[in-house]
Amino acid sequence: MSAGPWQLVGGSVQGPGKPSNQDAFDAGGSGGSGSPVILAVADGHGSAAHPRSAVGARIAVRQFVRLVGELMDTARSVELPEATLLRRLMSSAQHDLPRRLAAEWRREVLDHWQRQPGEAAGPEERLLLYGTTLLGAVLTPQLFAAWQLGDGELTVVDDDGSVSQPLAPERARLGDETESLGEAHAWRSVRVHWAPIVAPGRGPRLVALSTDGLSKSFAEPDGITRFVGGLDEHLREQGLEQVRAVLSGWLGEAARHSGDDATLAAAWRNPLGTEQPGRPDESVLEESG
Amino acid sequence: MTGMLAEGALLVTERGDQVEVVELLGSGGQGEVYRVRTADGGQAALKWYYPACATAEQQGIVQGLVARDFEDDRFLWPLAFVPAVADAGPGFGYLMELRPDRFRGLPALFRRQLRTSTVALLTACLQTVEAYQALHSRGIAYRDISWGNLFFDPANGDILVCDNDNAVVEGDASGIGGTMEFMAPELVRGDPGARPGTQSDLHSLSVLLFMVLMNHHPLKGRLELAIHCLDEAAERQLYGRQPVFMFDPVDSSNRPDPVEQGAVAHAWEAFPQSLRALFVHNFTVGLRDPSARVRESQWRDALRAVLDAVVECAGCGRQNATEPSATGPGACWGCGRTLVLPPRLVVITPPPRSERRILLRRGARLQQHHLVAEPARHDYGDRTLVAELVEHPSRPGRFGLLNRSDSAWTGLRTDGTTQQIAPGQTVPLRAGLELDLGPAWALVVAP
Ligand SMILES: Nc1ncnc2c1ncn2[C@@H]1O[C@H](COP(=O)(O)OP(=O)(O)OP(=O)(O)O)[C@@H](O)[C@H]1O
Ligand SMILES: [Zn+2]
Repeated sequence: MSAGPWQLVGGSVQGPGKPSNQDAFDAGGSGGSGSPVILAVADGHGSAAHPRSAVGARIAVRQFVRLVGELMDTARSVELPEATLLRRLMSSAQHDLPRRLAAEWRREVLDHWQRQPGEAAGPEERLLLYGTTLLGAVLTPQLFAAWQLGDGELTVVDDDGSVSQPLAPERARLGDETESLGEAHAWRSVRVHWAPIVAPGRGPRLVALSTDGLSKSFAEPDGITRFVGGLDEHLREQGLEQVRAVLSGWLGEAARHSGDDATLAAAWRNPLGTEQPGRPDESVLEESG
Repeated sequence: MTGMLAEGALLVTERGDQVEVVELLGSGGQGEVYRVRTADGGQAALKWYYPACATAEQQGIVQGLVARDFEDDRFLWPLAFVPAVADAGPGFGYLMELRPDRFRGLPALFRRQLRTSTVALLTACLQTVEAYQALHSRGIAYRDISWGNLFFDPANGDILVCDNDNAVVEGDASGIGGTMEFMAPELVRGDPGARPGTQSDLHSLSVLLFMVLMNHHPLKGRLELAIHCLDEAAERQLYGRQPVFMFDPVDSSNRPDPVEQGAVAHAWEAFPQSLRALFVHNFTVGLRDPSARVRESQWRDALRAVLDAVVECAGCGRQNATEPSATGPGACWGCGRTLVLPPRLVVITPPPRSERRILLRRGARLQQHHLVAEPARHDYGDRTLVAELVEHPSRPGRFGLLNRSDSAWTGLRTDGTTQQIAPGQTVPLRAGLELDLGPAWALVVAP
């Protein structure tokens, strides 16, 4: 393992008046060889129909982090020329990972149900109780890839400062219609972003994953991209520590406006090199409410 | 998105034609693909290899393919080699035509994002088999058949094979290794002497056909569900060391899981025995013995017969692929109702005499390839249309055969009278009607 160029920040704030935070997130790794940056956020559906969605969201994040980690470990351990490796990884990323994630999520959710049974009847219904979205990303020196099921925003600041949302659905979804890991054939709705990094410094410099409790807090539709653009500026001008110190305040503000849990997990490539690699500040990691 | 080539970058093909980069279309496993403007004002696609993939060996393959000048509308073939230029960075690429939008990739099919039909899928399979057969008959091994290369038109089953930059002359030892899912078991295991070639292509082709028809991988049954991580050893086991077909008649250890994989079990039941038998053979005996794999000509014969035996369910409207040799009707795979079989057109080709049996379902079409025993291609397009089943414009429920060819037919009725059917004319459909179609004879047979 080597220290990598990425630094992480993340946090989650419970929506006002909600009984508990139904979002979950994780952020780990440094982006050096052997330590891919893996980011994930999940937004449990929350409403009365999904009383166990906070558990579902945590399982989604955990399984995603595990599976992507395994995929990257495998890629590193097999002796294949780099050219072949990327092709194989692409196939796994687009084809296997979505299926595997959905299957492993279901398995763990049904295990949880076994341990803590409730009243719902069939397995289909049980799964819905845990319904959640998932948005995840991985960064290595060679690759940036991301996966999304349901709402949430992947916002990327490229090396040249341009901000984009590569996983934004082609058409806006209607109302509260949402895609969920709790639905049958959930893998079919997983969107995949695949972007090998062809030369050092050619990939993104900031990758931010957020739940819609953050994006819905802005009055304008492009609020979230402007927020992430601003985050990039802040990081460059004031540094990581300063941003970590204010992040939960920002998220709290967002949660007040959207009325929903607001969560962000981001990785930033520090142009000045590595400061303190590893996990974000624990005080920010803690889910404040 | 930051690609390797900048918008507006100018490159020059090996033949000296200039192209200008317009935009990045997407990233793949080996390189990026750009839309470019060509010197004649047209547009083309430019594949540009990642540095790690821009090897001398790859360059040799691409230049060899360009020199081959392979003209076949089923392939997007490398048309011109494009060397590196100073300000576009290192590497190289090649030009190909842009893929028309009507062609869609298989992931969209697997994700149920396309509207298509049984006939279109069977047609796509037949076209795929013939396309690879055309390559193999020229001594070229494709070596890279997978769901990433095949694009098809969900409306009619036309296909386009893309990403042809790993094909080499048979026997060339250079290694490839895309996804293990499509690799022949002997290659996954790395058996001594095993090389990618026509025989391993036949395995990949069968996997691809199975996936197009069943939307599932033939070896991913419950054994795969029992694996909880994404690792190499598990894949080698599934695809190399101990591959078991989901529907192996003897070994039931890898049957589809009824909950997680119920759809594939249902799809399997929806296809006729003659087609299933080929899959069973290929994924049992053929897994172990490369020389026993189902050949393209076998797939072609089975697929075209099944295509001619598709009927629509009168109850739910779904297309059903019936057993071509069956005498009884069977039940609809969608709603379970007993199918009503329409009359059949039996076509006898000139020597070497062969018989083609076409169920006259609504909209049934007779194509030029139906009239010869060994057609070079099975084209289902309008240009090779001979006849079409049409409903009488003012008497619904009455059908006739419309002559869509450019020569007249002679009809012989059961009462011995004859009738000329000029191009554009329709002959009413009656059991016992015989038609002299020029090269071939046809007979209408009651269900
Ligand atoms: N001729 C073309 N016209 C339009 N788009 C294309 C064309 N060829 C490729 N693309 C698009 O460009 C992207 C990358 O292509 P592709 O996946 O074939 O790259 P690749 O590196 O050859 O991948 P692999 O060899 O691993 O299959 C894809 O989104 C694909 O749809
Ligand atoms: Zn039916």
